[in-house]
Amino acid sequence: MNTAILTEEIVETVPFFNTSKVDQLATNSIEINNVTVSFKTPKGIYTAVKDISLTVKKGEIVSLIGHSGCGKSTLMGTISGMVKPSNGTVMVNHSLVTKPGPDRGIVFQNYSLLPWFTVYKNIYEVVDAAIKNKTNKEKKELVEKNLKMVNLWEHKDKLPGQLSGGMKQRVAIARAFAINPSILLLDEPFGALDALTKSTMHVELLKLWNLDNREKTIIMVTHDIEEAIFLSDRVVVMNNGPAATIKEIVDIPLARPRNKKHIIHDPAYMTIHDKLLNLLIDKFSIDDIPTI
Amino acid sequence: MKNSISLKSLLPAFYFAIGIAIVGGIWELIAHLTKNEIPNPSTTWITFKEVIQQPMQDDADIKGIGTKLLSSLKRVGIGFGIGSLIAIPLGIIMGSSKTIMAILNPIVQILRPVSPLAWFPLGLAMFKDSPAASVFMIFICSLWPTVINTSFGVSAIPQDHKNVGKAFGFSKWKYFIKIMLPYSLPHILTGLRLSIGIAWMVIVAGEMLSGGIGLGYFVWEEGFNGGSVAKIIVAIIIIGVVGLILDKIFMQLQKKFSYAA
Repeated sequence: MNTAILTEEIVETVPFFNTSKVDQLATNSIEINNVTVSFKTPKGIYTAVKDISLTVKKGEIVSLIGHSGCGKSTLMGTISGMVKPSNGTVMVNHSLVTKPGPDRGIVFQNYSLLPWFTVYKNIYEVVDAAIKNKTNKEKKELVEKNLKMVNLWEHKDKLPGQLSGGMKQRVAIARAFAINPSILLLDEPFGALDALTKSTMHVELLKLWNLDNREKTIIMVTHDIEEAIFLSDRVVVMNNGPAATIKEIVDIPLARPRNKKHIIHDPAYMTIHDKLLNLLIDKFSIDDIPTI
Repeated sequence: MKNSISLKSLLPAFYFAIGIAIVGGIWELIAHLTKNEIPNPSTTWITFKEVIQQPMQDDADIKGIGTKLLSSLKRVGIGFGIGSLIAIPLGIIMGSSKTIMAILNPIVQILRPVSPLAWFPLGLAMFKDSPAASVFMIFICSLWPTVINTSFGVSAIPQDHKNVGKAFGFSKWKYFIKIMLPYSLPHILTGLRLSIGIAWMVIVAGEMLSGGIGLGYFVWEEGFNGGSVAKIIVAIIIIGVVGLILDKIFMQLQKKFSYAA
């Protein structure tokens, strides 16, 4: 990846062609009602998140941010159906979540590609498992379309072990898009990437979201403030666990398409950045650390 | 450049030659010290040439060394084959259920260290037939490494891989074929490689007890009883080389089915 390409591509160029956004916002995509998640551990019952309620509208991008171990991945797990709430309910597209389903595409923290399959097979097997009502030919077309979308078609015969971190994450994103879910769940999707690759991936993700008429709802777990602001419509700040709750929900009213280079000089961006920083961090210099 | 590459590829052969020379030297020394009670390499070489004459001879009273080797390989193949057909599914079941693992693992751990020879009389009592008893012995002994390695492989499937199956709605069969088997295959092959090694080791002891046609019986009957130490040494070398070849075959399989994470 050379830097010349990076600065060119960092601008989100796809025009804002969706005019029916307001109508879509009227429908709720995800409704979390008083969700508590507790786990049995050898040391007794551990409550990860407690009494959380959150509503996300269709086409919204919402980030869950907080310190490590604050239960943000657990909360996301209740949406994906990988984690069962001990109390409360999660509704997705107006039906109760009991298990994972093809209406939700998950991108895992560590890519989770199957190392014995090629890039192509990794996506094909998932499409084959998740989509029932399509012919083999249509499934193959879906795989091709999604691999081309993330510019990995020429790498389709490689094994995951032969790819860089950024490429692996693109495969994981293409895999999640390939089952055409109405909701995308991203669990620290860019956490393992270097800062430069990460920036490019942000823009690429928004481009995919744009290409899809901004109809997909995206929930992303992160602990990167800049990433959260650049991508999201709202940022949910979580308290520290155990028994984590929502500390505050911060709106990001910055106009789309957003531009990585310009956005950081926007006074609104700086205000939001400061606010999030204050919510998440209480030590800003060595003077803030009490002397013993 | 080209020259240096071909030199490099010759290096292992060169080291092998050094190893052979050292062993040969020690062998010669022992032969000298025992006043040729242990025959020296050149005497053994003459015996070797005699032994490998007409290897595939298969008359009623004279069997060639190749016929004997094939007979031993056949017993190993049957015992190891049946053993693996039972060991792999058993390992998969143990690996996928903690309860079944808890039930069966102690039994495996008790039976595993039992000497192969102890199983022979049991086989004899069961089958009333000594060649069948030696196949039984091989069957039992080639079970354990495959059971243990397979169950380890299956139980160690990373949560990441399981999550893929769960998140994208893989059926049980698809999970088995596309995730469980590919992940545990290298472990299964490791088990099979250890098992075939043990099976090959055990066949010699088995055939010494059971008689009949085979390398083990050859060592005992024609070597020891026939008073030809040279034949014993020849047999040892043949057994070693065949064992090495078997191991290499499974090593190649392991290489073929391993993958970079």
